[in-house]
Amino acid sequence: MTSFLIGLFLATLITALFTMRLYRLILWYSLNSLSLALLAITIGFHIGDNSMIVSGFFTLLLKAIFIPYILKRISLRFSLSRQIEPNIPVYYSIMLIPALLVFTFYLAEPITNMLSSNANYVAISISSLFLSLLLMIEHKNIAPKIIGFLSIENSLFLLGTIATNGMPMLIELGIFFDLLMAIVVINLLFKQEEEVKE
Amino acid sequence: MILYIAMILLMILLSPLVLSFIKMLKMFLLYKKPISIFQGYRDFSKLLSKEIIISKETSQITHIAPYLVLSPLLLTLFFLPPVSSGEYYVSFVDAFTITGLISLSTFFLMLLGLDSASSFGGLGSSREAFISALVEPAMILTLFSVSMMANNLGVGQAGLNLSKHFPYEHMASFIFAGISFFILLVAENGRIPVDNPETHLELTMVHEAMILDLSGFYLALIESASSIKFMIFASLFASLFLPFGLDLPVVLAIGVFILKIFFIAFLVAILEVNTAKLRLFKVPNLLGIAIVFSFLSLITFYVLGA
Repeated sequence: MTSFLIGLFLATLITALFTMRLYRLILWYSLNSLSLALLAITIGFHIGDNSMIVSGFFTLLLKAIFIPYILKRISLRFSLSRQIEPNIPVYYSIMLIPALLVFTFYLAEPITNMLSSNANYVAISISSLFLSLLLMIEHKNIAPKIIGFLSIENSLFLLGTIATNGMPMLIELGIFFDLLMAIVVINLLFKQEEEVKE
Repeated sequence: MILYIAMILLMILLSPLVLSFIKMLKMFLLYKKPISIFQGYRDFSKLLSKEIIISKETSQITHIAPYLVLSPLLLTLFFLPPVSSGEYYVSFVDAFTITGLISLSTFFLMLLGLDSASSFGGLGSSREAFISALVEPAMILTLFSVSMMANNLGVGQAGLNLSKHFPYEHMASFIFAGISFFILLVAENGRIPVDNPETHLELTMVHEAMILDLSGFYLALIESASSIKFMIFASLFASLFLPFGLDLPVVLAIGVFILKIFFIAFLVAILEVNTAKLRLFKVPNLLGIAIVFSFLSLITFYVLGA
């Protein structure tokens, strides 16, 4: 089950890299967070860690439902352009993404040798970190860059969940609070862009 | 052995039904009056009774090609994974053979399009070549990675192995292969994001453009070839990516298999209603996603074992 959800996590992230529409991208981000939340809940039930289950539910509410909804509303309000053409053409991405994945899989090998359990998944979460960086790099518009930033946060959460069997509850809550602050800042950024446009 | 032959005959007989089912479901979802589910058979029998008219510019190819489009696909039906665990199956046929047979059929379809020297035929053939060139690498990689997960390179044996020992520890790479194969299923059968099978508009035609000059019996052959092709892909998807229910009693196992086929047809119909057709030069992007996922499935399996 863990493997299934991790597969979905990476799959939604890769599909987001090829997306050319803003709302579709927000949908993929939401599905990405959904698989992450389900993953945290499953692992939490598996190892009997209540705080991980709680942070999984927070992820579900906040990242899979609330943040995509807010992003969509903000982008509607500021009428951002819904076409987001990536800077890197798709035929380069087709070569770049597998190369990046192979690179990160081998990059993560020293780390995975140190861990005893879930070593494979650490490599996947590091590669998803790089893929979300690519998502930030390949777009000019502000909205996809923000989605890339949020995806980086998702991959870090995945890394924390998988590698350490759950960070302390306080840190998780702190991260969620940071994320909400980030959304407020994003709102301001959008406003700025709107003024620049005018 | 009897079950093996009977299953192949059943697949041939069911294939027009599945395509009509997709069409019916689509019309129902679009609030049109749906066609009968048996429309495929009616069309076939109507085409059989019509006379064959062939342009006088054509060569011998037009007379041969319809048979050669159909026969590799019929041959592929023999190599598919078994439906029930007691059934006879061919174990040694690997991804290359199946992909090769399917592209042999596509090759003759393209020749057929070129042969009558109409402008539409050439246009359709070039588009088909363009799409199938991108489909092939992804398909070989996907089938290979699934058969590696099943510990056997033969596709038939792989389907059986998957149902017996499902690789739960390789679930991540299994999902990537599944996504890739579903995109291929849609692309290779000319369903909506790639090609619209229902219009005769020159901008959108791929498959229809090649067979525009045909009539009568030859058209019936080509139409049944395209429905059998969908059946092959759907049954590969059903036995490789939904591998359950093989150990049930024979009749139930066949019933489960048919349900799986109709479930896949349902998914395709839902996808067709919900997406717009892609511009032709955006099609490589979609197939690029398929290639990325198939490659990813292979390297995730090899490097990480996940």
